[in-house]
Amino acid sequence: MKYFAQSLLKTIPVLFLITLIVFILVRVTGDPVSLMISETATDEERKALRESLGYNDPIYIQYFDYMGDLVKGDFGDSHRYETDALNLVIERLPATIELAIASMVIAIIMSVPLGILSAIKRNSFLDLFVTGGAVLGKAMPNFWLGIMLILFLAVNIEVFPVSGRGTFLHLVLPSIALGTGIAAEMTRLIRSSMLEILGQDFIRTARSKGLREAMVVNRHAFRNALIPVVTIMALQTSTLIGGTLITETVFAWPGIGQLLIQAVNLRDMAVVQAAVFIIAIFVILSNLTADLVYRLLDPRIKYD
Amino acid sequence: MKKKILWPILVVFVLLIAGCSNESGGESESEGSGDPEENSDSKRLVIANGTDIVSFDIHDHNNTSTEAVHVNMFNYLVRNDAEEGFVSDLAENWENIDENTWTFTLEEGVTFHNGEELTAEDVKYTLERVANDDTLLEYGSYQQIEEVEILNDYEFNIHTHESEPALLNRLSRLGSGILPKDYIESEGWDVFLEEPVGSGPYKLKEWRKDDQLVLEPFEDYFGEEPKWEEVVFRTIPEDSTRVSEVLTGGADIAVNIPPTDIERIEQEDGVSIVTSPSQRVMLFALRTQGDYPTADPKVREAIDLAIDKEAIVDSLLEGYGTPTRTRVTPGNVGANEDLYDTQVYDPEKAKELLAEAGYENGVNITLSAPNGRYLKDKESVELMQAMLEEVGITAELEMLEWSAFSTRYSDKDFEDVFFIAYGNSMFDASLALQRLTKEQAAGETDYDNPETEQLLQDAMSNMDPEERVEQYQKAQEIIAEDRPQIYLYQIDSIYGVNDRVDFTPKLSEMLYVDEITLK
Amino acid sequence: MENLTESMDAVPERKESLIKKMVYQLFKSKTGTIGLVIVIFVSLVAVFAPALAMHDPAETDAVNRLLPPFWLDGGSTEYLLGTDNLGRDVLSRIIYGSRVSLLVGISAVLLAGLIGIIFGLIAGYYGKTWDFIIMRTVDSFLAIPNILFMLIILAVLGPSLVTLILVLGGTTWVVYARMVRSETLSVKERDYVRSARAIGAKNFRIIVKYVLPNVISSFIVIATLNVASTIILEASLSFLGLGIQPPDVSWGLMLSDGREYIATSWWVATFPGLAITLTVLGVIFLGDWLRDVLDPKIKD
Repeated sequence: MKYFAQSLLKTIPVLFLITLIVFILVRVTGDPVSLMISETATDEERKALRESLGYNDPIYIQYFDYMGDLVKGDFGDSHRYETDALNLVIERLPATIELAIASMVIAIIMSVPLGILSAIKRNSFLDLFVTGGAVLGKAMPNFWLGIMLILFLAVNIEVFPVSGRGTFLHLVLPSIALGTGIAAEMTRLIRSSMLEILGQDFIRTARSKGLREAMVVNRHAFRNALIPVVTIMALQTSTLIGGTLITETVFAWPGIGQLLIQAVNLRDMAVVQAAVFIIAIFVILSNLTADLVYRLLDPRIKYD
Repeated sequence: MKKKILWPILVVFVLLIAGCSNESGGESESEGSGDPEENSDSKRLVIANGTDIVSFDIHDHNNTSTEAVHVNMFNYLVRNDAEEGFVSDLAENWENIDENTWTFTLEEGVTFHNGEELTAEDVKYTLERVANDDTLLEYGSYQQIEEVEILNDYEFNIHTHESEPALLNRLSRLGSGILPKDYIESEGWDVFLEEPVGSGPYKLKEWRKDDQLVLEPFEDYFGEEPKWEEVVFRTIPEDSTRVSEVLTGGADIAVNIPPTDIERIEQEDGVSIVTSPSQRVMLFALRTQGDYPTADPKVREAIDLAIDKEAIVDSLLEGYGTPTRTRVTPGNVGANEDLYDTQVYDPEKAKELLAEAGYENGVNITLSAPNGRYLKDKESVELMQAMLEEVGITAELEMLEWSAFSTRYSDKDFEDVFFIAYGNSMFDASLALQRLTKEQAAGETDYDNPETEQLLQDAMSNMDPEERVEQYQKAQEIIAEDRPQIYLYQIDSIYGVNDRVDFTPKLSEMLYVDEITLK
Repeated sequence: MENLTESMDAVPERKESLIKKMVYQLFKSKTGTIGLVIVIFVSLVAVFAPALAMHDPAETDAVNRLLPPFWLDGGSTEYLLGTDNLGRDVLSRIIYGSRVSLLVGISAVLLAGLIGIIFGLIAGYYGKTWDFIIMRTVDSFLAIPNILFMLIILAVLGPSLVTLILVLGGTTWVVYARMVRSETLSVKERDYVRSARAIGAKNFRIIVKYVLPNVISSFIVIATLNVASTIILEASLSFLGLGIQPPDVSWGLMLSDGREYIATSWWVATFPGLAITLTVLGVIFLGDWLRDVLDPKIKD
């Protein structure tokens, strides 16, 4: 518990750094005014808008204002929606989490059996197929996979709806598109971690005691192989959230990913800041959780 | 055994290719005929847009596709109809009583969605808001209004600062909806933006951002009874996904269909393509002064002559566009139709002109263009670059992502030539040509021709409609020869439409859902 | 793919035997061989692009737009893999695209590696405040998804070949910094390093002589695998409109642009897609093999 508390403490400077990074990213360069205003607007109209948004202040004043507001939990208003940026992001959070969890479930469903089987039946045809497939899954950008899935499973054979969020069926294609890359990564990992454990002494002992192979795999190998997998799953959170940027656009999924892309394109800085911050907290929390779970599963681990 | 590793991969490759080529075969009779039929009588209309509406602040969005949704919820005083000219909407009649004054009479008994009556007070509140608040994006198009003077509940005068021949055009476009004064003043803007109230045939049922916006009929609408039980505007940013939705019956109408998918939609049973000219004209803006090669009129002419606009339209837009030499296209006040649907293309003469200008061995220019903003922008520019190369003009391309482009644009920071598209929601030559007035052209094209300037300034406040049109037409002729901007082509709007509905697109791209009917 | 237990025994001690072992391992591992062959092949294509391409990759041909590959009806041997929407030769574009894709992939990884190694060494070797600052920065970078970072920076700076490399390198360095730091920490405690310090050797010398050689092998493995993910990342950025800008051409750009034609002219996007897949496959095979040979400790 002490370790966990320490980890939590460590996140405070991290969060501070994130706000600084984000501020530098969105404020120092780029001109939101030119994006907000029409192509045919005059110079005076631009000036007026710039003034009204407070972009004429020196940059450090803008930063202090921003940090001051941030401490109060105020990320400012979205200039597009003219409403609180943080609320906008939180509104979108469930859709993205839903997609992320479903993708993770799909990744687990695909990778756990395949990874274990290919490790047990090492060098068989199945193993080769799985490892080859895993590399392919990694090599296919997820926008591409998404478009293909729509063409085959929604247009050619109308099994699933094309896009949007709604029923359970709407969730299937986007989570496959997003989950496949992660499944590929996890399959490779489960396979190698299984292989390593299957070669270790205690498994040999179990085998030599005459335990059935299925029992050995189940009881001993799998449970031990699971430990690094749990960690990797959590570490994939960041990849997963990053992937939603693209998957949500392809499938018109109304989550944070789409919100962010549009906010970036329109220089809706308040929203960008709020979204990056929320995503970062989400990633940090899931990493902390993984850390904790890892320690619970494997009490041998010591920390420096 | 490890040799086997390659062949499962090969299998996947083959499947991938086989799957794709099968798709391209176009044997689609058996497919996709399920959904479109099943709900053919449904009074639920689904429209797939590429972007979500920006906001319900009608004065602060500057976005055609947002207005296309708003027009179903708010009413203008007058509507600008392509065929009939100005027709009544909220205003029963109107009259220009002197140079700076217009008088209007409202329909009686118009109510807002919350039951309150729409009166001259609301008109005053709405128009004066946008005419006075310079932080609003539409301020520039309404600031000509000085005051709205209320005569009684249903009658009012609009006073303009100077004589304003295009006032009706200004009042029948983006941001011209009338807002409920009492509702906004008592509840505040925040509430209005969440729960907007208008006077239109449909009211907001639900808005899930970047997902869908649902409208339901307003029973007490003062005009014809609304036809649809529910109207859904879906937001689908990815083109291919939007096409797939209309193919499978997931949407009745999909906007902005890429020209490449036209054939695919037309081959499918139950869906068709509907097109209309739009107000969007693609153009080059060129530096006419300074150390740029384009400062020489001969070079500008050579650029114009080098580009085969017809070929671009035919190849990239599959014919869905029209070459033009003016930005004021038919349907706009002041249009010069002699310059429309025509092009000057003569590569040989272009070479001669370059030689005359002293560039026998070719000339280098920088051509800046946005990438991914307009239909086929990148491809068009690449094609034009190749055409320019043919006559000896080496254009160095500077393709910019939109936000970068627009920053440079507003800083007036481009080199010789930039590529852009302009629309025109006012349907009037004044908006189309104002960027070429001396004041606004400064730093950009630096266009300065006293004759054009005089014509544009005179026309801007000329209350004699016929003479005003002549002035604008004359100005367009001069501009077409001076070439501070080289107009390329007007692009069409392309819609994929389910055969269960009848839809005639408008030049303005507005989506009046009650004009869309079940077959 | 490789027999793990065997390669674990093969931890090299001396350089001569390392090279021998590598060659031996290479031909023992079929996938490693395949990977190496693919990587060499793609690199050769990139180097000799002008000689190999039959057409100028930017040359448009309005008459021959969207021609299918030569083996299909309407195809022409003039354009072996068909033409795109502007009538450009798909094969020539793939050949030239290999240059940009590899250039971006490799330079971004080298840049990231350089930054990562420097910061990792500093954090690991000097510890304390340096370690704290660097590692918290690493943590904050890790908490923001890569692609999101790139989306923001590229949208602000505007994408170009150079910014793309800088951004890809400048955001992925943290992986190396982490790895190098932990390697450094363990090396630092070894007896020979301790004694070197005890006799007053300069820090810089210790780092170069003892620490650096120990981190290089892990670095090579991770870097190789990251070339693959960078190539894919570039494709994703192209999808967002922030990748390579024309007239430059990369596989990612071709794949992303070609998605519009996937239902009508599949070859426009499929072949660059295959090029990416094949290259990534080769690089991953090579990386897996390097890992088995050089550094069996790293799992991923």
